[in-house]
Amino acid sequence: MAIAHGEKILKYLEENGKANSLRLSELWNEDHQKIVGTVKSLLCLGDVIEAELHSSVKWDLTEEGKQVTTHGSHEAQVYNAIPPSGSTQTEIMTQASILNAGFTKDMAKVGFSKAMSLGWIAVDKSSGAPKFIQKVSSIQDVVQEHLKELASGKNMLTNELRTEIVKSYEMKPGSSFSTSVTKQETDLTPEMITSGSWKTKEFKAYNLNALGTPVPRGHLHPLMKVRAEFRQIFLEMGFSEMPTNNYVESSFWNFDALFQPQQHPARDAHDTFFLADPATASDIPTDYMERVKNVHSHGGYGSQGYGYDWKVEEAKKNLLRTHTTAVSARMLYALAQGGFKPAKYFSIDRVFRNETLDATHLAEFHQIEGVIADYGLTLGNLIGVLYEFFRKLGIEKLRFKPAYNPYTEPSMEIFSYHPGLKKWVEIGNSGIFRPEMLLPMGLPEDVSVLAWGLSLERPTMIKYGYDNIRDLVGPKVNMQMVADNPLCRLDKHRGTEIKEPDYLQELDIRMDSILTRLRGIENEVSKLKKKDKGSPEKLTLVIEADPIYPPLSVQTLIRILMASRNAPVSVTIHQHSSLKKACSADLMQWAKSTISNVSRVDNLFNLTWIWKPVGPRPVAKVVNHYNGDICGETAVARLLARILESWTDCAFYENYDLNTTAEIDDWLDMWENCIQSGDPNFVVLINHIYNQLNCSDGRKWLTGVLPGTKSLADVFLSTVLGHKLNSDRAKEWLSRCNSF
Amino acid sequence: MPTISINRDLLFSALGKCYSEEEFDELCFKFGIELDEVTSDKLIILKEQGTERSEGASEEVIYKIDIPANRYDLLCLEGLVQGLQVFLGETGFPPFKVIPSQTVPQRLIVKSSTCSIRPYAVAAVLRNIHFDQNTFNSFIDLQDKLHQNLCRKRSLVAIGTHDLDTVQGPFYYEALSPDSIKFQPLNQTKEFTASQLMDLYATDSHLRHYLPIIKDSPVYPVIKDSNGVVLSMPPIINGEHSKITLKTRNVFIECTATDLTKASIVLDTLVCMFSRYCQDQFTVEICEIETSQGGIKNYPILKTRQEKIDVNKINRMVGINEQADKVADLLTRMCLTATVAGNGCLSVTIPPTRHDIIHACDVYEDVAIAFGYNNIEKTLPSTNTIAAQFPLNKLSDQLRDQLAQAGFTEALTFSLCSKEDISDKLRKPLSSIPAVHVSNPKTLEFQVARSTLLPGLLKTIAANRKLPLPLKFFEVSDVVLKDRQRDVGARNCRKLCLVYYNKSPGFELVHGLLDRLMQLLEIPLDPTGTTGYSLKACDDATFFPGRCAHVVFAGATVGVLGVLHPEVVTSFDLNLPCSALELNVEPFL
Repeated sequence: MAIAHGEKILKYLEENGKANSLRLSELWNEDHQKIVGTVKSLLCLGDVIEAELHSSVKWDLTEEGKQVTTHGSHEAQVYNAIPPSGSTQTEIMTQASILNAGFTKDMAKVGFSKAMSLGWIAVDKSSGAPKFIQKVSSIQDVVQEHLKELASGKNMLTNELRTEIVKSYEMKPGSSFSTSVTKQETDLTPEMITSGSWKTKEFKAYNLNALGTPVPRGHLHPLMKVRAEFRQIFLEMGFSEMPTNNYVESSFWNFDALFQPQQHPARDAHDTFFLADPATASDIPTDYMERVKNVHSHGGYGSQGYGYDWKVEEAKKNLLRTHTTAVSARMLYALAQGGFKPAKYFSIDRVFRNETLDATHLAEFHQIEGVIADYGLTLGNLIGVLYEFFRKLGIEKLRFKPAYNPYTEPSMEIFSYHPGLKKWVEIGNSGIFRPEMLLPMGLPEDVSVLAWGLSLERPTMIKYGYDNIRDLVGPKVNMQMVADNPLCRLDKHRGTEIKEPDYLQELDIRMDSILTRLRGIENEVSKLKKKDKGSPEKLTLVIEADPIYPPLSVQTLIRILMASRNAPVSVTIHQHSSLKKACSADLMQWAKSTISNVSRVDNLFNLTWIWKPVGPRPVAKVVNHYNGDICGETAVARLLARILESWTDCAFYENYDLNTTAEIDDWLDMWENCIQSGDPNFVVLINHIYNQLNCSDGRKWLTGVLPGTKSLADVFLSTVLGHKLNSDRAKEWLSRCNSF
Repeated sequence: MPTISINRDLLFSALGKCYSEEEFDELCFKFGIELDEVTSDKLIILKEQGTERSEGASEEVIYKIDIPANRYDLLCLEGLVQGLQVFLGETGFPPFKVIPSQTVPQRLIVKSSTCSIRPYAVAAVLRNIHFDQNTFNSFIDLQDKLHQNLCRKRSLVAIGTHDLDTVQGPFYYEALSPDSIKFQPLNQTKEFTASQLMDLYATDSHLRHYLPIIKDSPVYPVIKDSNGVVLSMPPIINGEHSKITLKTRNVFIECTATDLTKASIVLDTLVCMFSRYCQDQFTVEICEIETSQGGIKNYPILKTRQEKIDVNKINRMVGINEQADKVADLLTRMCLTATVAGNGCLSVTIPPTRHDIIHACDVYEDVAIAFGYNNIEKTLPSTNTIAAQFPLNKLSDQLRDQLAQAGFTEALTFSLCSKEDISDKLRKPLSSIPAVHVSNPKTLEFQVARSTLLPGLLKTIAANRKLPLPLKFFEVSDVVLKDRQRDVGARNCRKLCLVYYNKSPGFELVHGLLDRLMQLLEIPLDPTGTTGYSLKACDDATFFPGRCAHVVFAGATVGVLGVLHPEVVTSFDLNLPCSALELNVEPFL
């Protein structure tokens, strides 16, 4: 069926070159929906036909309306039902429904009052009971006539109408047009291979824009993927992994061994999970504990100590380790016992804090820690290692801030520049372990230990763009996220992550966007240019500008455009409700329409000017043509210059040769740069203008070969900077510009 | 890290220079403090209480600045300005001096009754001081900052400041029963006993936090003058009688403490910051403390310490190469006045404001800060080491890769959970589980360290029920078990756990995955269970009867697999059959 119709349509197309589905449905007296179905199936065949969807509003008669076309308006039916002698209302009703079975009481009510007001009928009470009589001998039923016209396709509005949106296809032959339709195969089958029928069959093209079918697979967790990457980096740098599989730690190793005093706030129950069972540790190496006790309470090893009463009970309290540095302390102690050898250690494992939970903090998280122990290490070494470590993560810009940490001195917070946030963010902590921590362990006096730490979750959240840590860790995680998560390549910047700005690439992107905008404008202009061959298209331009920063150049260009007389300009100036102060009369009347009739007819340049607090960058919007806003005085000026060129056919900007156009662009860019680089006095630009004008070669304009050509650059700069120029040559130039 | 709020305009006028926000931020960064927030009273109220309340509040710019926890000397405008000006080389460091009293020194007599509750007290007098509203506020703020930080919320040290002209020395510090203490506390109109005050302040948003420090003691500390006027009941509240005002000219400062070192630091800090407003600038009048043992000690100590520091050592530690006089200049800019002392040494003066300097390494750090961390040359250490992975982690990672290759997806769940998660919900009595219990959990979620990975995975399934079936999740991570053999009485155990959740239990699939893991670990199936692995039917309350087996390896049970008991399934808000395997990884190392 569909195919049969399809071939009919194709034949029609072959003969007529184009077709409209609605037209065909009338022509063949076929339901429009069927035709549309056929068109859709034809479209599936590839490029056999091209079709464009149109929707139009169609007026159609309702049932009531249709009645009117056959039996006349309600008032006419009432009129017709009255015999010449007159009759009562009931009799008339009966008579009317004999004439038209569909005539209801409600319609009669309307009919009576309408007929009365039209003066068609009257009430006669002379014979007692009120009777209706025909007052005029004949009537003209205008309502019926109008509805008949409408039913035949003429467009009018009345209550008897309903609206219908009709979607129809406008068709024309496609690139592989043919009048015969063969059914295409979707896929190769074993039978086709066996029988060889594949040789003659046509195969439906794949939709390569659709996604493929997901493959069944297992996945590693994103946080663990980032962990693997960090682990790899440490291994590459020669760091050995510490055994951190002991979440339960004594306060001694977690705090005391690190010279963290027993009254330190971190040792509060508010910050640390202490244990009820097993509540205390049994074994602490006795002599070492004694040395730790001494250094805390009395000092020693060159230290003043903290001068407090150190208690072993406090040290024996068990807790869930608050940092992996507890393990580092155990490792360094072991290193001292076995005869010191230089060592590099790392670990990535869980730590616990009894802190307030929020979007970025959980009670447990993974700490990454690196430790280097050797003779004669320096703070410069630590900085150097950190640069190398973070370079492997793709972070090149680092900065170090003095900080305080009870067990490191010097201590440094590590900051990296975040290109997305455009500021320095803290990414870790580092320092050199205090002698009060190392010497009681028995490490040689000239051994220094460098250390740094950071959380694993933070860089992972940044890497994959998470705001809430619960979306990443814990049982509430959406496992689809785990499945969809990409590879972890920390030195690659892709996807959700905000990329370090590459200057050249940024320029490329800017260039692209400018080109897109230019193409949009080009379309505008080419449309405008068509006016030579007939009437130019209507152009509606909305410009929003701030009364505090009136875009003088734009206003000047519009005045020039209006003065050209080629363009009938309709101007309306408004002020936006968000303005704090009403605009002065000058501002509201700076331009007047060049035609008296301000109604927006075709073939007209419509300008809507809105004073609005948009700041120093005015915004232009070309209505109905091109979606991108054009922002900034230079950009709007360029747009107007192009419009001017197209309406007047003069050379002003892009109608010049490429070199001149580029020169003009240079001038405008210079002005823009002054604004953006905070040179409010335009010192650089004014010097350039002076240099250009002061040349003794007799140039009269800013651009072009001698003696120069007047252009957008002259108009623009003379308008915006005129009041700042005072050299004689400049003044001559200004007056030349003004006469433009 | 304490944060102080400083009025920007006051700060700049004290510094004698206006900075842009960026410039000041940069200065802070170099100096080791952090400009955390720029705000105003109005903005703060607006944020916390809404537009209406903020009407009329001050719009003066306030800088919120983070101060390192050990720099008590920077906790007020006076100290910060002094620190920055010295850092910028604009002024020298003032010489603080303890001066004798012109008549009889004030004396504070510490009674032995305080030993059981708050045994130490120190005191000092600021003579002929002149406050204005700003400096007065700063004086109060500094006490508050010290209370919150160095004083550990008044538990270690509590400060009381009094108008000396309203009271009569000598002063007595003693501990009395709560009912025998009666006075009019600060900002109250009538007298209360100490017991009544405990009730009065139980709802006070500010003071109630300090009540537990003494509440349950049979005696409360109190300081009275020679006429019995109560100056303060530390660490809770001062008396109204002796309160200081803008008009106060002579300030009596007492600090009571459980830590004498800290009390002395607090007193030094307070007097150093505010002696600048005394007629005789930077001087503070001595007070005698009669200790409970009967001896007399003078306070404040305001000790200036001299240290000899080897310039070479500094250069070596920091990684720079500067001449002695340059290093001395750097230190002087950090308020550590230094001179070249010969023999390649510097003589460094550590003033009473820098109690954070307790070791030469603290001096090295200040050199590094003054030199500029970011000016230090980057070098790489020559440390040459061969790296090794922690074998258990290496094996775990290899197994994780294999599980993912087998089509299972990795979950990452918490090590802490509720007691119920590991017991009731798994149909096991808590007493049978060697779990580690947290003593101070803030929520039920942190009651115990998990003893099995199963609850976390089942919760993960519950949160992902909308995903297409089957759900196949795994986790390889540590659980924590009590173990008397360890010094801390507990150890981690590396477990591998996987769950299969579908319309049919899929026991055979989980079983198949176990076989695959054993194949990867080169462990043969050995029904005798002596060398290889085998399955032995077992009863485990977590699993459906007759659908559960122990994994036996080399004669020991190393894991369990089976179909979960329907009650376990429903207790985790699930409604489909589920199979699970949990394996101890460590025996396979």
